[in-house]
Order: sequence, then structure tokens, then C-alpha cells
Amino acid sequence: METLAYVAFGVYTTIILFGGLMAVFSRNLVRALVGLALTLFGVAGCYLLMAAPFMALMQILIYVAAVSIMIFFAIMLTKPPVGAEEQPGRPWWVVAGCIVAALAPTMLIARVLHVQPLVSHEHPTEIVLMDLGQTFIEPYFLAFELISVILTVAMAGAVLLAFERRQGQ
Amino acid sequence: MNPPFGIPPELFTILLALGLLAGFVGLNGLVLVYLERKVAGHIQRRPGPFEVGPHGILQPLADALKLVGKQLITPRGADKWLFWTAPIISFAPVFVLFLPIPFGPVLTAMEMDLGLLLILAFAGINVLALCLAGWSSENKWSLLGAARAVAQSVAYEIPLLLAVLAIAFQFGSLNLSTIVSGQGAWPWQWNIMVQPVAFFIYFVCALAETNRAPFDLPEAESELTAGFHTEYSGMGFGIFFLAEYANMIVVCAVATALFLGGWNGPAAPGVWWFLVKVYLLLLVMMWFRWTYPRVRFDQLLNLSWKWLLPLALINLLVTLVLVKI
Repeated sequence: METLAYVAFGVYTTIILFGGLMAVFSRNLVRALVGLALTLFGVAGCYLLMAAPFMALMQILIYVAAVSIMIFFAIMLTKPPVGAEEQPGRPWWVVAGCIVAALAPTMLIARVLHVQPLVSHEHPTEIVLMDLGQTFIEPYFLAFELISVILTVAMAGAVLLAFERRQGQ
Repeated sequence: MNPPFGIPPELFTILLALGLLAGFVGLNGLVLVYLERKVAGHIQRRPGPFEVGPHGILQPLADALKLVGKQLITPRGADKWLFWTAPIISFAPVFVLFLPIPFGPVLTAMEMDLGLLLILAFAGINVLALCLAGWSSENKWSLLGAARAVAQSVAYEIPLLLAVLAIAFQFGSLNLSTIVSGQGAWPWQWNIMVQPVAFFIYFVCALAETNRAPFDLPEAESELTAGFHTEYSGMGFGIFFLAEYANMIVVCAVATALFLGGWNGPAAPGVWWFLVKVYLLLLVMMWFRWTYPRVRFDQLLNLSWKWLLPLALINLLVTLVLVKI
């Protein structure tokens, strides 16, 4: 089973990396979105490896299905014809800057983790769903409620913006 | 461990189940095509397919052969890569959807506590496939179909989840087998008696989520030619078609497990009761298709946001209160 887990980890990381590169390097917005969805899917696989199937399924339900489709909707609302969103290539110093900007935090985190490795379990243990729910409504009650308030505010704001635009026309 | 092959038994079960499911999905596709055409025929007072085989029983086989034999055409200007990925994305989740469904007391491919969530999560991916298909075709009908599919699925997924949640709260479980064995043998012991509103909401939303008439706006043939799959020829279209039928079976199977007692029946409980109930629901779906005219788009959205969603919320609240008492 141990080797199987390593193989699965390899597959998921490949999916994540491939999706990420596709999201970043695609000139076409919809292709970039597909890359993003692929990455999110791979992350769901990693949750599965960490013995958190609930998180994995929620990741698919919310991110791969709902959020991706929302982004697709947003792209469609701002649609230039397919192929027309091609941009001219960027100069080399922009590319180099991007690579440095991406590498700097990665190196920093890698160094910190190397010097001071995180304490982790040898094998992941699955947390019972009931306990997860209990943690949300007992010790982390305030944080949980605050998140719902933020979401409500965001939703109300979106509705308000939509109505204002309609009146403005 | 299974020494001769070295395959873990769980993996072996799942592989076997996947093989059987592939057969099941393909066979059901054929049966449903035949049924759909026959039901349509008889509702419109004509015999339906009659030429190929006795009572046209071999018609779906001829249809399938025709689809397989056709040339695959990629329209000029289409995003070729996305265009051919879309049908695959549409069909791939189907196998996962069938895994946690309890067909019989022991006939479940993968017994898991989060089975219901697994189905709901992977069912959402289908819409992404429709979007990609519509987008990459570079055709205005396809794009309009994709836009409709997005708005429709977002609108109907929420009441569907809320209706399912009511049952989950009632049983305190997301395991379909637990929910099925919590129901009795006779119809008055089934969940539909306790949760008729949830069943109604679920079934209406399921029709919308599977793009069935009267909610077939993403492919509305009289307005959009064929909607998101206008440009697909041969098996490109065939795979979308098969995925749609497979999704119909899944939503009916989940409805059977959640509301109609699953494999429980007055005599000899088993897989046959499950299949009978699933096929009855499928027939009801077809009956709807040839009975109700297609809704207008604003009606479709109003129905979900103004009626089904509040109804589902009230139903959930009442369920919560009753469960706590």
C-alpha cells in the first residue's frame, strides 16, 4: 500500500503541476480555466491521500464544479471571440522577473522547512465527520460565523452592484 | 491480499465493478433509446420504430452502428483540443457516479460513508463539459447553449442539494445503503411519505440538471439547432448522448435510494425492485418530455430562485425542527 500511495502522490503532483503550468502559460482564457480546474482536481486527490475524503469531495463539489463554472460565466460575460484574446509575446525581462518572483517564496519556504521540519503524523488518520462539525460549532464558532458574514456581505454587495448598473442604463 | 494477482481485494472489487458498470451503462443506453422512441411514438399515437427487427427492437443497435461509423469532423475555427476533450470530461465522471449506488443488499460497488456527497460532487462536472463543448465549437448556437447550461445548472443545483440534505439530516448519514436500509418494505414506509416536498423538489431539479424536457433549454432543438452539441458528429455526439442517459439513470437511482426504499420491496427484496423503481422513474421522465412544452428561460430561472429554493429551505427547516424534537 505504501508504494501505491507514493505512485498516487506522484500522479496527483503531476496533475497539479501540469494544470498550473497550463493555467499560467495559456494565451486562451478558457484553456487557462481548464488548467485551473485540473489543478484543483489534483489538490482534491492530495486531500484523499491525507485521509480527508470529505475535504476532497467538497473540493470537487465547490471548486472544480461550482467555482470553475462561475469563472467560466465571468469569462463569457467579457467574451472576445475565440482566438482574439491572443496577446503579443512578452519581453524577456518580464518573463525573467516572473520566474524570480515565483522562485523567491518557494526557495524561502523550502529553506525554512529544511531547517525546521514540520511535525507531522507518520500515517494520516481520518477524522470523523461528526468531530469536524463539533469543532466548527464549538472552539471555532466565531471564525465560522465571521466567514458566513463575509460571504453574506459579498453576496449582498454583488446584488447591489447588479441593481445599480441596471438603473444606470 | 490476493496472492495470485497481487491485487488488493478492494481494488479488485472496484475494477470488476467498473467493468460491469461499463456494460450496464452501454446496455441501458440502448434500452433507453428504444424506450424513448417507443414512448414518444405511443404518446403521439404512432407506433414508433417498427422496421428494424420485430417491433423495431434492433433500432438502437442500428443507431449505435450508424453513430460509430460516422466521420468525426472538427469545425474550422474550433479549439480542437478543448473540442474533443469536452465529451470525455462529460462521460468520465459517470463511472464514479455509479460506484456508491446500492443496487441490492450486497450489490454495491463501493460501500462508503460519503457516497451521496461523492455523487453530488462528480455530477457537477458534467456542466463544465457542456460549457467547454459550447465554447470551443465556435458557433453561436453552441455558445448560447453553454450559457444556458451554466445558468440553469447553477440555479437548480442549490434546491437539489437542499432537498437531499433534508433526507441526510433525517438519517444522520450520507451513506446511501444506510438510508435504504432505514426504510421499510411497503410504500407507506418509504421516505416519499415523510418527505413528499423534498421528493418533488428533487425530481424537478433532477430533470433540470439532466437537461431533460421541459428543461432542455441548453439543447433546445427548435431554437438552437442542437445547442451545445450542434457541431459534434458521430461518436462525439454519441458520447454526450450516452452521458445524458447515464446521468438520467443516476438521478433516478439516487431518487429510488433516497425516497422510494431502494431495493426494499413487499416480497423478495433485491436488485429487481431497485431496477423496477428506477425504470418507472425513467418512464415518468419520458412521459414528462412528451407532455409538457419547453419552459421559457425567465420562467425556468424564476421557478428555481423564487419557488423551489424557498420551498427547499422551508422544508429543510421543518425537517431540522422535527428531527431535533
